[in-house]
Amino acid sequence: MIENNTALQLEISELMVQALNLDVAATDIEPDAQLYGDGLGLDSIDILEVALVVSKQYGLQLKSDNENNHQIFSSLRNLAAYVAAHKTK
Amino acid sequence: MTQPKESTYQKSAPWLKHKERSNMLMLRIMSWISLRLGRRAGRSVLHLIALYFVLFAPASRRASLGYLPRALGRPATFVDMYKHFFCFASTIHDRIYLINRRYDLFDIEIQGESAIRPLIDAKKGVLLMGAHLGSFEVMRAIGRKVPGLSVAMVMHKDNAQKINAMLAAINPEASMDVIPLGHIDSMLQIQEHLNEGMLVGMLSDRTLGDEPMAHVELLGATAAIPTGPFRMAALLRRPVVFMTGLYMGDNRYQVHFETLADFTDIPRGQRDQAVNVAIARYTELLNRYTRLAPYNWFNFFDYWQSVPASLSEKKHQ
Repeated sequence: MIENNTALQLEISELMVQALNLDVAATDIEPDAQLYGDGLGLDSIDILEVALVVSKQYGLQLKSDNENNHQIFSSLRNLAAYVAAHKTK
Repeated sequence: MTQPKESTYQKSAPWLKHKERSNMLMLRIMSWISLRLGRRAGRSVLHLIALYFVLFAPASRRASLGYLPRALGRPATFVDMYKHFFCFASTIHDRIYLINRRYDLFDIEIQGESAIRPLIDAKKGVLLMGAHLGSFEVMRAIGRKVPGLSVAMVMHKDNAQKINAMLAAINPEASMDVIPLGHIDSMLQIQEHLNEGMLVGMLSDRTLGDEPMAHVELLGATAAIPTGPFRMAALLRRPVVFMTGLYMGDNRYQVHFETLADFTDIPRGQRDQAVNVAIARYTELLNRYTRLAPYNWFNFFDYWQSVPASLSEKKHQ
């Protein structure tokens, strides 16, 4: 499930860089780097923004009661995997 | 009563590090007295507590002395400091009655209801921003006068636990809708509450330590205000109303609502600018109300020095 997500990862990475005005190139975000806290250094508001942008782009619902949220937002790779599995557009 | 390990709170704000131990102790002592002996008896004890703080709580005293002259516009006296602690103690004390729905004990004046009434009626969700200024708890009491005013409070998860423990001890039936921060999905929870047309409240004058700060001119000196709450409001495209419940002595409270910002129609490109405008407005309101009710400022740490250099710069430009 993870292997074929490279294109999607890059797409999401670009969305994040654009939405958050990050000082890195989309291609420079390591798929396994932590998004929250150390790593990419996003704070909770940034994560909210990522959630909003990604939900809109791919037509999916991110819910607060999803027990896997922590895992979903832990890295670009995990986020892409979740999007791949749940996207509706 | 152990002190939190430094390592756990390394990135945290001074107020977190600076344990809220004394506050909790005060709360425990007072709830015991108040519920057994009544408000009048409880209040006589408050004088002793205020005196105790003036005499034996050097950190709180320093904070009080650092703040009061700025708000009063003159040097602070022993009496000012005493009033400051007494005001703080009173609001905590009254919280016990408010939680027990003894609203009849209080004389509460509401100003600026027109700033919030239409927003409640529109049912599209409102963010209520307060500060550690006065009592947010009087919200409970005005729920009857301002129908629809039921608020879910956003707070740091440690505080949320303490508050819930306290509520359970004082009145098991009094629930408070709390959204704990510090989880990845805290923000999603806030969004869901707003989508249901609810009011979400937060005290926006303290940082949780992981967010960028904006430097503002507060009472004539530079202070740092966290940008997080405002960025969040902008992202969620919601109106923001300022709220404070000032303690005016005796059994009197004065609740103020003020229009703070409305991010509903702000396009993305103008968001940062709108956030800055909102922070400026928030600061203006803090300046106004700290001067109006100087003893209601309940940040008992050095607010004007708490600008950690490492936090003031971040990727956001």
